[in-house]
Amino acid sequence: MNGPGLLDALTHDWGVDHPAVLALAALALLPLVAGIFRRRGLPALELVPADPLSRGLAAALRVTGAIAVLALVLGLAGLHRREQGIEREGTGAHLVLLLDRSSSMDNSFADRAPTGDQESKSAAARRLLTEFVGRRPHDRIAVAAFSTSPMPVLPLTDHHAVVEAAIRAIDRPGLAFTDVGRGLALAFSYFAGDIDETSRAVLLVSDGAALVDRRVQDALRDAAARTPVHLYWLFLRSRGAKGIFEVPPPGEDTPQANPERHLHLFLQTLGVPYRAFEATSPQAVADAIAEIDRQETRPIRYVERIPRRDFARPAFAVAGGALALLMAAKLVERRLAPAGSTAGMAASARAVRDDAPRRRVA
Amino acid sequence: MTEPAGPPPPDRQPIPYRLRWRPEGIVPGAHPGHGEGAEGQFRRHVPLLRQPDPRRIDLRISLRDPFGELHVRQFAPRRTVPVAVLVDLSGSMRFGGAVAGRVADLCALLALSAVRAGDSFALYGADARLREEVTLPLARRRGLEEEVRERLLAARPGGTGADGLMEAAARLPGRRSLVFLVSDFLMPLETTERLLDALWRHDVVPVVLSDGAVEERLPRWGLIELGDLETGRARLVFLRPGFRARWIAAARARRAALADLFARRGLRPVPLADALDTDALTERLMEG
Repeated sequence: MNGPGLLDALTHDWGVDHPAVLALAALALLPLVAGIFRRRGLPALELVPADPLSRGLAAALRVTGAIAVLALVLGLAGLHRREQGIEREGTGAHLVLLLDRSSSMDNSFADRAPTGDQESKSAAARRLLTEFVGRRPHDRIAVAAFSTSPMPVLPLTDHHAVVEAAIRAIDRPGLAFTDVGRGLALAFSYFAGDIDETSRAVLLVSDGAALVDRRVQDALRDAAARTPVHLYWLFLRSRGAKGIFEVPPPGEDTPQANPERHLHLFLQTLGVPYRAFEATSPQAVADAIAEIDRQETRPIRYVERIPRRDFARPAFAVAGGALALLMAAKLVERRLAPAGSTAGMAASARAVRDDAPRRRVA
Repeated sequence: MTEPAGPPPPDRQPIPYRLRWRPEGIVPGAHPGHGEGAEGQFRRHVPLLRQPDPRRIDLRISLRDPFGELHVRQFAPRRTVPVAVLVDLSGSMRFGGAVAGRVADLCALLALSAVRAGDSFALYGADARLREEVTLPLARRRGLEEEVRERLLAARPGGTGADGLMEAAARLPGRRSLVFLVSDFLMPLETTERLLDALWRHDVVPVVLSDGAVEERLPRWGLIELGDLETGRARLVFLRPGFRARWIAAARARRAALADLFARRGLRPVPLADALDTDALTERLMEG
């Protein structure tokens, strides 16, 4: 019962690149059978007093040999620990960044093409959002954009490098229109398969709005009822544009004249926690983002991914160490010097050659 | 076999040996034997009436006798003695090529000495059984020492135990002989004792083979894997000064026990250490 379970646990966490090489692990039995030393004859082992230290050393050297072979085989087979997912608890949220890609985002807050040290709205948003994402390492973040039509960019993901790359791309030149309603619908749809008990938030970044179709409005109400999310609207207000909180004089308060204000009013009626930030400068954007950062700090269970770790190099290091030990043992090997081989009259030709000067003694 | 690998053997001089006892037998030889004879080694004067042999009357002694009795010289006859060498060929004798070296030299020397003295010589090699190819029956022909040498050079020591030596003891002549027992005596003391019991009839000269390499010339530090030449068991030994001292002390104790065993039986062993010391051997054999 235990065996297969253990094997399962081992292969779940650990793996090798070339399993066939593991067959060579049988060679690890070899050092247990044959030692590294040349065997020197002794008339009788009874001559040698008992010595536990020698016995322990012999066993240790044999085990060292086995370890050396085993480590070599594991290194050759490419031992590694598989990619691991560890569930952890932290603070964060599931977040959808819904970015406006209309061409007006390429202008500065003064609503003209940026010159000199001025920053375009998209560049400011990019910089601040990158910092924002960097401060929230445990969030799962999706990115969507909208312009003439919504564009899914990234599904909910842990890979912040990808998220940052997606954010970096928002200051590319944009398109003409602003279809914010369908963009929101897309953002809500990201949460459709998300069943976690975490806080969910949609961060809408735009510098303007447009009329939301009635059918789209119904669909959004529907989606908001199904998926409770926090909704944040970061409104990058250009100079001269109308604010979303200003109440215009009666008669001018139509959706056609004030699409931003009416989007704000519509979002308030969705029945989900909603906040709008009006930012007229990069500093104001930073403040708004800091506020969102404070709001979305609920506990979140997230899976931390530990990448595959290669153990071939440590295996070779172990093998090298074991081999160095064996080498050292081999270098201190000594031999007995029997008298007979030098004194014998019947010494063989080899003995004559080797020991010619000493033979005279005999 | 006919072409020895080494250089031609040096000139070997026979060494004399003397017995402390009188050999029996009828073949005339070199050793004062049992009984009384008309010639040989002078033993004593006896009255003519006791040995009526007027040819051996010693006039000088007879005239000096105040009672005027006639004295006759009596002699001990010179007889031959069988000389046998029992060589232990068990695996332990393989160490350092001892059999082909010192032991072959010793046996050839003894064979030469025996033949020159007119005695017969026999060689028995044995491990767990008697080795017929290393066995020569009693003979006194010329050139026997070369045959002995060749047999021993060709012998491959191996096997365990010394039962063959008991077998060889049974093959020895029935009358008292001079028996050299060549072995390293690494067998248990009880086995040695049983072997000496089997040789009770004979004048036994134990030749104790030893090698300084396993008793004194041990390295101070290092690792050696040692294999028992008889049983084949192997052991790794970590040599260090303390352990070396213990080893040497154990070797001394074992030698002392062996010497004690021989002394209890009145035997005086001949050490055969790293090289054959002919002078010491001669001295020992002349003492009888």
